[in-house]
Order: sequence, then structure tokens, then C-alpha cells
Amino acid sequence: MRPAISLTNVSKVFDIVREKQISLKAAVLSFRRPQPQKLVALQKLDLVVNHGEALAVIGRNGSGKSTLLGVIGRIYKPTTGKVEVDGRIATLLDPGAGFHPDLTGRENIFFNGAIMGLTTAQVRNCIDDVIEFAELNNFIDAPVKTYSSGMLLRLGFSIAVQTNPDILLIDEALAVGDAAFQEKCYERIDSFKRMGKTIVFVTHDLEAARSVASRVIWLDKGKVCADGEPETVIAAYLAGILDQEHTAREKQGFHVARDNENSAE
Amino acid sequence: MARIMVDQLRELIAYKDLLKQLVVRDLKVRYKNSVLGFFWSLLNPLVRVATITIVIKYVMRLDIPNYSAYLLAAYLPWVFFQTALLDSSQVIIHHRDLLRKVYFPREVLPLSAVVSNLVHFILALLVFFAYLIIYIHLILNGSGLLITTLLLPVLIGMQCLLIVGLTYIVSCLNVFYEDTKYILSVLLDVFFYLTPIMYPAELVYSRIANLHLPEVYRMLLYKLYLLNPMNVIADAYRKALLPPAQFSLRGIPIKSLPLDYGMLAIAAVICVMVAIGGYAFFNSRKWVFPERV
Repeated sequence: MRPAISLTNVSKVFDIVREKQISLKAAVLSFRRPQPQKLVALQKLDLVVNHGEALAVIGRNGSGKSTLLGVIGRIYKPTTGKVEVDGRIATLLDPGAGFHPDLTGRENIFFNGAIMGLTTAQVRNCIDDVIEFAELNNFIDAPVKTYSSGMLLRLGFSIAVQTNPDILLIDEALAVGDAAFQEKCYERIDSFKRMGKTIVFVTHDLEAARSVASRVIWLDKGKVCADGEPETVIAAYLAGILDQEHTAREKQGFHVARDNENSAE
Repeated sequence: MARIMVDQLRELIAYKDLLKQLVVRDLKVRYKNSVLGFFWSLLNPLVRVATITIVIKYVMRLDIPNYSAYLLAAYLPWVFFQTALLDSSQVIIHHRDLLRKVYFPREVLPLSAVVSNLVHFILALLVFFAYLIIYIHLILNGSGLLITTLLLPVLIGMQCLLIVGLTYIVSCLNVFYEDTKYILSVLLDVFFYLTPIMYPAELVYSRIANLHLPEVYRMLLYKLYLLNPMNVIADAYRKALLPPAQFSLRGIPIKSLPLDYGMLAIAAVICVMVAIGGYAFFNSRKWVFPERV
């Protein structure tokens, strides 16, 4: 069987666009020191994710986590290497990106479904599940601008999971709603795994990584530092992060480089 | 090359429901909070047309019976051209949050700006037809619509191809250079006057005819002028929808020319080329958008 996601020798190099994305601080600093032109976000990465796996990606800011997700989700074309994906991808969108405030919850569900490549008929088939899961029965025909942030998150999560994708990509957004809803989300993700579906999520929340993931990878400077059982990798990461802190501080130009990385993310 | 484009087109077709959703969303948002909705979007062109009519007829003294009808026939397509281009120049930037989070064929976005403006244009044309039938045909001479009205779908199709090609170029350039939208609005302003909208193309022809040049060159010069497909299209809309105008400039009558089907065919070829070229240009750069917006 084909793996759900397979990356072979994948690198991603960003050109840093100065004039647009530069901050004033970085501009002043770069006056003294010429800036790097290229940013290597992923370096010759090999990764195979099988169907039914829940993979957590951890690592420091700027380690390439979001870029990895972007490469899997076809947002970025890798500079070198090959990405193969088996199945339909859904991305958990932040409410700011996916919803139009003037449209109702229902209209936004159709819009989001279409963005993820569903036809209107397919959305119509699952819309009741989406509304039900998001617990928005009474508000679904109200404009989204009247929703609380919790309601938006619930709706976003519900669209991503209830439209029945094969692969779910989540970037830093698992903390959804109150404890009860969060419990529901974890359950849903568990049933996802049992159904042989694949989840890749980027997180700083190591607790979430422990409880949801069946496998964790630790990315650092665009490379996989550790890959395996959640407990082992998280322990290695925590040990490594202290170590890195020291060396990074000593390195000149660290802050400049990091600012660039953040803006490129 | 052609294979890649076919694959891209196929993917675009797979996402046709997204296009529909984008268009519906655009139309809904635009009219959601206004009672008169669509009629607000008609008000602006109508006021423009009334103003231009007064200036041209009474100040410039270009005399055409029913001038406002001749003006509208070319001005409504121009508004379509202009607003679609202006809207689409911003469309990638407006959706930057989405672009950076989720994959979908990026070509859908400029296309949606064109299609939602096409919907407006067609609605405006319907109103124009109502005006045409009631005012011009019933009251003035009682004749029905011209047979050449059947050319309308061809003209709209040509214009759409031209606009789609240009919007792909403009919306893509605007990601890399934000000056694009300013340059575009200046260019649109200039071309509004250069395109035969306020005046008939025959006026340009009569000007060229007065030049001291051999006949061949004069004809060539006029054909050159008609190489701009928007010039041909604006002129063709007028000639397809309305009977030949009996007009005169400061009392001197000017001969009206028939619709030049040869030039129309050339314009159609240019429109197709612009569409293909714009699409290829956009697709060659679309992968960089999430990094740049």
C-alpha cells in the first residue's frame, strides 16, 4: 500500500524579500551587517507517514515545522525533492483566514468545503454533521461576525474533520473551545486514526503531542533531529532545547536570522 | 508545455464549485447590506453617461441622435473591462491568509473577479435592452432589435478572454510590485479616452483620412488603431446593437463605416492569445505567491 505522505529528499529554500517584509529593527540591524539572501527552511528531508498515523511535529520557532506542513499541503513547491500524497487533504484553517464575517455560518461551510476541493453536493451531504459537531445549531444562519472566538474555532475544526478527509493538517490550533469540546476533538482524532486516516499536526503544546500523537518528529533547522515514540522524542527535545539555547545565544546574528525566519513562515 | 496547461485547466475545472462559491460570496457580500442592491451599481455608470452626453452634445457639439444609447452600448462593456481589472488586481492580496494556509488552484481567484463582474455586466445589459426597446425602438421608429444582436455572445466571449488574460497578468504582477494597481488605474484612465467610447471610431477614421498620406498608409494607420482589441470590441458592440449612426461634427456629416469582420476576427485571435499568455504567465509564478503576499 502507498504511504499517506512520502517526502523524498525535500528541501525548501525561501528567497527573503527585503523591502516588503522587513521590520524596522531588522532594517537598522542589516545596515551594519548584510543579510542572508536565502533561507533554508527544509534540508533534504525524508519522511514517510503511513495511513492511520497521527504525527506531531515539534521544534523551535523557525525550525521549518510550518514549512513542512506547507510542503505537504501543496502550498509550497519544494525547491528539490519529491512530495507524494495519497488522498484528499483538509487543513484546519484559522478562523481569520477561512471565514467571511458577513456571511452566515452555513454559507461559510459551503465556502470552506469548496476551498478544500469538495463539490457543493458533497458539502450538502455532510453539512448536518458539521453543524452538529460544532454545536452551532441555533446560530448557523447568523453572520459569522456575531460568533465568539470559541464558536469560530469549533466551526473551523468541525469543517476540517467532518468533511471526511483522508489527511488532516493542523498548524498550532488544537486548543479548541472548552474542556468538553476539546475532549470531543481528541475523541474525533482517535476515531480518525482508527479509520486509517492520517493526521499531521504542528504544535508547541507537548501535552497535546503526548496525548494525540502516535509518533513525534522533532525538527531543527529544517532537519529531523529525532523521530519515533512520543515519549522518547519529547524527552530528547526537552533535553536538546536547553543545550541549544546556550549555543544559539553565543552565535552572532542569531536574532536577525530568526526575525527573517519568522516572517518567512 | 501544452500538456501542463491542459492538466492545469482540468484541475481548474475540478474546482468549479469553488469558483461558484467565490462569485456567490462576492455578489452576496456586495449587496447584503443595501436595499437597492444591484441598482446602486447601475447608478454610477448612468450618471457618468448623463454627464458625458451633456458635454459631448452641447459643449463639444458632436451631433448624434440618441447619443446616450450609442454611448451606453460601448460604455457598459468598458465598465466591465475596467472594474474586472481593478478588482482582480487586488484579489490575490485580499486572499493572502487563505493562500498561505490551504492549497487550491490560485487561478480561481482572478477568474472569480472576472465572473462576478460579468454577472453585473449582463444584468446591466438587460437593463440597457429594456431601455433600447422602450425608448429607441418603440417610441422613435418601431423597428425591432437588429439581427446583429446575435453577435453579442461572441463579443462578450471575446471580451472575457481578453479580460481574463489581462487580469492574470495584473493580479500576478501586483503580488510582486504593488505599484501595479496605481499604474493600472492610470492606464485605464488614459485608455478610456483612447478607446472609441465617448466618440465613434469613425471620428478617428475621419481624422486619419484628413492626414496628408497616401491612401494605403492611412488605411494601415486605422488598422493599426484597431489592433487594440478593446477598440474593435467597443466599436463592434455599438455596431451590433444599434443602427448606423447619422452623426456630424460641428455641422459636417461623417460617413459611418460598417462593422469590420476581418478586424473582428483578428481581434478574436489576439484575445485568445492574451488569454493563453496571461494564464501561462500567472501559472509560472503562482507557486511563489504564498511566500510573497
